[in-house]
Amino acid sequence: MPVIGYLGRCLIQLVVTMIGIVTVAFFLMRAIPGDPAAYMLGDYATKEALATLHAQLGLDRPLFEQYLLFMGRAFSGDLGTSVVTGQPALSEITSSLPSSAALAVLGLLIAVLIGIPLGIWSAMRQGTWVDVTIMLGALAGISFPVFWFGLVAILFFAHWLDIFPALGATSSESIWTQLYYLALPALVFGFSIAAYIARLTRSAMLEVLSQDYVRVARAMGVPEWQVICKFALRNALIPILAVVGVTFAWAFGNAILIEAVFSRPGVGSTLLKAILARDYQLVQAGVLALAAIVVVINVSLEIAYGLIDPRLRK
Amino acid sequence: METVTTPRNARSEPESDGAAVLEIRGLLTRFPGEPVPATVVNDVSLSVRAGETLAVVGESGSGKTMTFVSAMGLVAHPGRVIAGEALLSGIDLLKLPAKELRKRRGAEIAMVFQDPLSGLNPVFRIGDQIMAVIRAHRALSRTDARKEAVRLLERVHIPDAGRRVDDYPHQLSGGMRQRALIAMAIALGPKVLIADEPTTALDVTVQAQILELLSEIQAETGMAMVLITHDLGLVARHADRVAVMYGGRVVEQGALDAIFKRTRHPYTVALFRSIPHLDTPADSDLTPIQGQPPNPSRLPKGCAFAPRCYLAQDRRDCLERSPTLAAADSPGHLSACHHWHDLAAEGDKAR
Amino acid sequence: MTDTSGQTSLDDLPPARRFAWLDRYVRHPGLMIGMVILLLLVTVAAAAPWIAPYSPLDTDLADTLAHPSAKHWLGTDQYGRDIVSRLIWGSRISLQVALAVVLISLTLGTLIGAVAGFAGGWVDRVIVVCNDILLAFPGFLLALALVAARGSSLESVITAVSIAFTPRVSAVMRSVVLTIKPRLFVEASRAIGMSSWRILWRHVVPNALPPVIVVATVSAATAILAEAGLSFLGLGVQPPTATWGNIISDGNAIITTNPLISFSAGLCIAVAVVALNLLGDGLRDTLDPQMRRQTGRMI
Repeated sequence: MPVIGYLGRCLIQLVVTMIGIVTVAFFLMRAIPGDPAAYMLGDYATKEALATLHAQLGLDRPLFEQYLLFMGRAFSGDLGTSVVTGQPALSEITSSLPSSAALAVLGLLIAVLIGIPLGIWSAMRQGTWVDVTIMLGALAGISFPVFWFGLVAILFFAHWLDIFPALGATSSESIWTQLYYLALPALVFGFSIAAYIARLTRSAMLEVLSQDYVRVARAMGVPEWQVICKFALRNALIPILAVVGVTFAWAFGNAILIEAVFSRPGVGSTLLKAILARDYQLVQAGVLALAAIVVVINVSLEIAYGLIDPRLRK
Repeated sequence: METVTTPRNARSEPESDGAAVLEIRGLLTRFPGEPVPATVVNDVSLSVRAGETLAVVGESGSGKTMTFVSAMGLVAHPGRVIAGEALLSGIDLLKLPAKELRKRRGAEIAMVFQDPLSGLNPVFRIGDQIMAVIRAHRALSRTDARKEAVRLLERVHIPDAGRRVDDYPHQLSGGMRQRALIAMAIALGPKVLIADEPTTALDVTVQAQILELLSEIQAETGMAMVLITHDLGLVARHADRVAVMYGGRVVEQGALDAIFKRTRHPYTVALFRSIPHLDTPADSDLTPIQGQPPNPSRLPKGCAFAPRCYLAQDRRDCLERSPTLAAADSPGHLSACHHWHDLAAEGDKAR
Repeated sequence: MTDTSGQTSLDDLPPARRFAWLDRYVRHPGLMIGMVILLLLVTVAAAAPWIAPYSPLDTDLADTLAHPSAKHWLGTDQYGRDIVSRLIWGSRISLQVALAVVLISLTLGTLIGAVAGFAGGWVDRVIVVCNDILLAFPGFLLALALVAARGSSLESVITAVSIAFTPRVSAVMRSVVLTIKPRLFVEASRAIGMSSWRILWRHVVPNALPPVIVVATVSAATAILAEAGLSFLGLGVQPPTATWGNIISDGNAIITTNPLISFSAGLCIAVAVVALNLLGDGLRDTLDPQMRRQTGRMI
């Protein structure tokens, strides 16, 4: 039953990290100088208004009590109320989640489908022009800001070539129309992550290809495609997955930028609107929800490592 | 020929007994480098016949592994075999198209590497790895390949092979892993087995068992074996012939007792003095070899061993002319030393 | 073993010339290109008041949206501001953010990492857990949260990115300390009386420096991208201050007619980030091959 034990440990880790994230989010926001209530109300707030808002946000209570309250609410799904719309913050976030999830999933799929093969190809042709070209492309990919890629893509594909819509949103029910609108943002998002994945895959593959077991497989006459795609890739996947996890965390930042560039609805746009409206509760809820998603993804990846690497299941 | 004090039967004189299964001729392997390339295998010629064991001896970096890695066409980027032939049953492996070469690797010439810990892929079951090798050469179904894998594991005396076949490498001990690698290497009944320091990473008791296993398989199949090692004790017990390598070259080559009893190269002498082996009395002094092995990209103009050689001192021919491998006093005994006569004169019993 | 790895190390011999150790840095083209670009950028940023042809803020409503000319090399924006001048001044903000983030995260990170590594026990465990949680927290989201809580400013951006990168530095520092700690005890017992400062200076600093520098260059690159992203969203340094992100954002409104404005600012960001990435990759390759594992997982 080692597999069950492994899954159990992963789940415990999930819960611990979640508690940690809520704690860190709470203390970080309190530790940073500045009064959110004062910031929300702007420069001309009256003392009374400030006091009311403090009470409303619970900022007038002792810190530890605030923490427990925050923690209890967070785990019962209550992340406060949007000051602007009066709706529960969590439902504001969840209603905009599907659009972001579609972008994230399609983007990551594109990234993996492009990044991993290119990284493998680059590693196999180490030192040749193929390697140099792919790696220069990847360097450009991680160096240009993703929103700039988005702007250029809109200009090129939507305005000049006119093959994609400039704005990535539609109210159409048809899945094909949805995909048509999603294509350009997902491609931009995917390519920006593919650059990271390709660099990583290359270095992981190079490391693995220099291992003895790869030499043994070759010395025993195992066909090269099998050496690469079966024996080497499964080992290389462990560090690659680790980074795909980290990339995902970081990719949520990119998703916000992509949503802004393409004027797509989504968690990013909701967050952005909330920040501009100084809707503190909603921002806090959004950040927490996204962080939670990142943690869940990381734990799922950890489970995936265990399936790939038997040594971790012990 | 004198009687040899090894448990193995010394075979007849080299050159007299059958054709070589593997014959390496004039092999030259280089790695590009700044400012000059590194020559790691430098004009090496060696051969092994069926049923024979050739020991290749030398310090780390002397090119003993690279010689056979080159012969199998496995030199890693950016290294390259510049010249030479590697004839396996008369066919030059280095001129074969990649596909043909691949078919011979594993099937006709196989290699067991030094470190059994890193030689097995950690994320695949032992059985799957052996099956992959079998199925790379033979059209067997998975079920049949699996049966064959179990049979091979039994052949290398892994207890409970039917269960072990589903183990991952980390579940096996070092000796078991080396057995599994040997099972993989003999899976297709190769004509030549290259064992690259097969026991260096193992316990002493396990070492003996592994070599016993290799000898047993060799006796049964009549395959040729190349034993790459720096353990002269192993050489004394298992080799028929010996090649000593230094700085990418073969510096001395000959039958086991010729090398051990009538050493004709100062480097070999230094090796005997530096490494304890069975023939060394326990109280005799061990002298480590002074200095560093030569850098393959900065090989001296003269003899590569000259800077560390007690015979060379400041002799001009040692510093200016690289000695070629030439016949020494007994038949089939070759030495690459300008002054091997000095060693003959010193008297062989002095060591 | 050199002969089994299939590669022969040429670094085994002592260098033949006095500055031969410099060779491998000079011979690494990426490292050199990155270094040169970075030096150029720093020079431009430092000399901005003297080399910028116009003020970055002066509007000229008579000369808006000018096309590139001898007077305005890259034209002007919708307020008649000279793009070249804005780009030159914008480099200051980007480099300032990068420098501040590197300084803060390096100082805090090495300190925290060293404490964790040397103290061990529960101190170590608490720090590691906090580190892991911060690493799981998306850096850009942290920046957004900060900006939401205290308004958008240069300091918010710097604080947020520094918080995101400190755990990376401290993780690297901790692993370095853990690997050399056993050796330190040997050394300390051999030479009693060696002050802890000397141990720190002689053993910890030289071992920790290479990986920490690599992480620092990566954090500088990310800081520049994060600042640009926040500026682009209108959450960074507020207009009309010239930052590369603001210039792209302003240019976005007129991108169909004057794409050059957004293009050139994007190119500036990319050049700076490419330079830092080249520098980071180059240092990773040349400083110490063993550290590839430690820093390999950093983006």
